[in-house]
Amino acid sequence: MKNAAETELPQPARRGFLKGAAAAAATLVAPGIFLYRTGQAATSLDNEARWGLLIDTNALSEADVDACVSACQREHGWRAEPGSKTDAQWIRKVKLTDQETGHQKFLPMMCLHCESPPCVDVCPTGASFKRADGIVLVNKHICIGCRYCMMACPYKARSFIHETLKDQLPVAPRGKGTVESCTLCVHRVDRDGANAVPACAEAVNRGERKAILFGDLNDPQSEISRRLQELGGTRLRADMGLNPGVRYQGL
Amino acid sequence: MDSLASITRLLLLAALGLAPLGVAGAAEYEASGFGEIAVPSPEKPVRAEQCVEPVEVMRRDHMKLLDHQRDETVINGERDSKYSLVGCMNCHNPASESGEVVRYEDPQHFCAECHAYASVKIDCFECHADRGLEQLQQGKLDSAPPAWNGNGAGLNSATLGHRLEVSQ
Repeated sequence: MKNAAETELPQPARRGFLKGAAAAAATLVAPGIFLYRTGQAATSLDNEARWGLLIDTNALSEADVDACVSACQREHGWRAEPGSKTDAQWIRKVKLTDQETGHQKFLPMMCLHCESPPCVDVCPTGASFKRADGIVLVNKHICIGCRYCMMACPYKARSFIHETLKDQLPVAPRGKGTVESCTLCVHRVDRDGANAVPACAEAVNRGERKAILFGDLNDPQSEISRRLQELGGTRLRADMGLNPGVRYQGL
Repeated sequence: MDSLASITRLLLLAALGLAPLGVAGAAEYEASGFGEIAVPSPEKPVRAEQCVEPVEVMRRDHMKLLDHQRDETVINGERDSKYSLVGCMNCHNPASESGEVVRYEDPQHFCAECHAYASVKIDCFECHADRGLEQLQQGKLDSAPPAWNGNGAGLNSATLGHRLEVSQ
């Protein structure tokens, strides 16, 4: 015996399912999910571009670096959780002091999106990964929070979320028990491609003066490649051979 | 044959004898309230007439669609799909009667209603926003990040909460 409510529930039409599967000429796993299908281009990233940043430290004052950090916080909704002993480290301010002359220099420090990222090497689940376009991310769906990547990263770019969070922003889902780091504003990159401007760059770039320049390192005609060719750029700890995608000038 | 007939007769008698008991039992059951558990019928969104797939497909397979989509987004950067969780929450964002934000823990929340009924715990909303972009932009957040004034003035490590590092 079925009660009234049960009999009113719509059921998928099985005949329609078979017809649809034949018409699509594809292997249907579930509605909308195909093992393969014909005649439709699959959307997937290619490795044509390799995204990077060029940070001109001569053009950045301490206030500029602070603006980078707060812009990143606003963009992704992270902050120092009250009472927490460990801060989120998406981006941080590094102060360099020349002890002889007392000269100080400030630079923003974040995930450098290495070509050979040690965080990816050590990840036991494959959660730490490099996208085809060179952006190094944490797939938080499969991150188990072991924090090996945090220890492997020579730039201390990653941090762990200890607290139960609320009100995360849709562009940056983040939660307790996972590791996180700079995403190179991947949601903006996916939207704007080569014209993307990460939040930190947006905060400090004014007109033609681009203290933080985003671009394609693989394209020799891109502005970032031309500036690197003309003025050079420092790879931090180049001796480790990780070939970071974020380069610095003026160090 | 005789034995079979007698068994049938016995069974019939038993059934007749027990029938009134059964009715009485059902009546008691309903009176106790256990028979009144209703299948949930969550409120439909007002702004869209049709979901991204027919209702019967969504009922059975929304988890498969979302599971597939999350990998497409994280790994392949596909952010325009109609199966995004943000897309779900943009339509299915119930406002409580008092105008307050309805969180996933609230039984009024679109997802919570059926998931409580089916006893299926989901952890989507431990990381993802449990309501639409509009509600998020209205600013009713408990833990909003510090306001950014655009030029860094007045910000220090205490307000920003980031660590200063000194080297050399």
